[in-house]
Amino acid sequence: MHPSPLVELIDREQAPLLARRFYGDGAASPITASLAQVPELLEVALPFVGVALGPVSLGARAKEVAILRTSALLECRYCVRSHTVVALDVGLSLEEVGALRGERPVDTVFTDERERAMIAWIDAVALGRGPVDPDVQAGASAVLDDHELVELTMAVTATLMLNRYCTALDLPTSPETEARLAAAGIT
Amino acid sequence: MDSMSALADAVSAGTVNGRLWFYSNYHCNLQCSYCLTESGPLVKRREFGRDAILARAAEAQELGFTGFGMTGGEPFIRDDMPQLVAELGSELPTIVLSNGTLLNERRLRELEPLADLPVHVQISLDRPDPVENDDMRGPENFRKVMEAIPKLVERGIGVRIATTLPDPDAVDPEERERLCELHRAMGIPDEDHVVRPIVNRGRAVTNAMGVLAGFEQLEPELTLTAEGAFYSPFGPTVRGGRLDTDLLVSRTTRPLSEPATALLRLAEQMPEGDDARIGIR
Ligand code: SF4
Repeated sequence: MHPSPLVELIDREQAPLLARRFYGDGAASPITASLAQVPELLEVALPFVGVALGPVSLGARAKEVAILRTSALLECRYCVRSHTVVALDVGLSLEEVGALRGERPVDTVFTDERERAMIAWIDAVALGRGPVDPDVQAGASAVLDDHELVELTMAVTATLMLNRYCTALDLPTSPETEARLAAAGIT
Repeated sequence: MDSMSALADAVSAGTVNGRLWFYSNYHCNLQCSYCLTESGPLVKRREFGRDAILARAAEAQELGFTGFGMTGGEPFIRDDMPQLVAELGSELPTIVLSNGTLLNERRLRELEPLADLPVHVQISLDRPDPVENDDMRGPENFRKVMEAIPKLVERGIGVRIATTLPDPDAVDPEERERLCELHRAMGIPDEDHVVRPIVNRGRAVTNAMGVLAGFEQLEPELTLTAEGAFYSPFGPTVRGGRLDTDLLVSRTTRPLSEPATALLRLAEQMPEGDDARIGIR
């Protein structure tokens, strides 16, 4: 059952002047359509999110690992469902997606040392309070250059922001996302 | 940005209008059939506070705005409006749009200081006959307006008449002439009589009236409300009880330089030439 959004999702006809360019040709995402309530926020937030969650130097696979894992830890229905689709699109397997979603143990599915260190880092940043465990810091530093660690950390923290935003406002996933999940047999 | 010179340059180049509009409130004693804001006595008031208006007005002068406009709803439903308009008019030429039906003796006395200021009260009068006029604007509207206008004029207060019609070009010339005779007889010259089309927003959409007015047709004219800054005074309209956002510029209204800068960006995107604008006043 889809939740109803707490705020009005602004349609194309009502899109504020400075928000129009974010609407593209298809339907605007619920994040765009809600942020359009405050166009000056949309103007900075969307480009920021686009870069923070985009491939940059780590690549789409690593970024989707970070986004999907963080979203699952934060129990953000919207982001988990939306990024399950994106993760499959960038080549993650159903097993990998299931592990990131907490449906099976990560260690049995992800065997690459670099990815395991990254996931440990993601888990620590997303769920932790206070300083990150020095062993986890050391593990991440050992496999990631400084710029990669910055990029990964920002991907996690930007996802945290979106997780709480989407969950608090009860944003509904798009029909396209639901159709893709159904086609992949994912509930 | 050097907001002052950029805005002042745009105003003198004619790319943006120099008037800064305020929506003081959205409630009104009337419920006209073409009302852009679906105003009426019981609607959400969306009042824009006096102090906030004066603070933005002070910033507006520094930025290079050349005049103020006050609209609603009915501004004179607010007790603080005469004083507020006088304060704005002490700084820059000001126009306040009113239905003219709440100008009792007390309000008229409160308005007397406006006589010494560059302030105009623009009053709506659509038809020269009470029945037709009141059909769109409500019972007794014609009589109240015809009583109020001479009282303003005799106090030396500047008055303009605004006539809003479904299709100004289709109006019977004889009827138009009778309306003009009316305003001339009350001491309002032709140059202070504006005739404009109903704009297809707000209640006019519900009642299938008026001309379309969007970004391409409207002049950039920064308009502030309690809920944000808009591209034109025809922007912050209401339909089905919700504020339209298609002409929203920003939720930020202070500092004023923020929406002013955004308006300049939008003005640069306007199609070339005045022919794109319908010049609704
Ligand atoms: S058109 Fe003016 S007078 Fe008529 S209801 Fe709207 S705000 Fe009031």
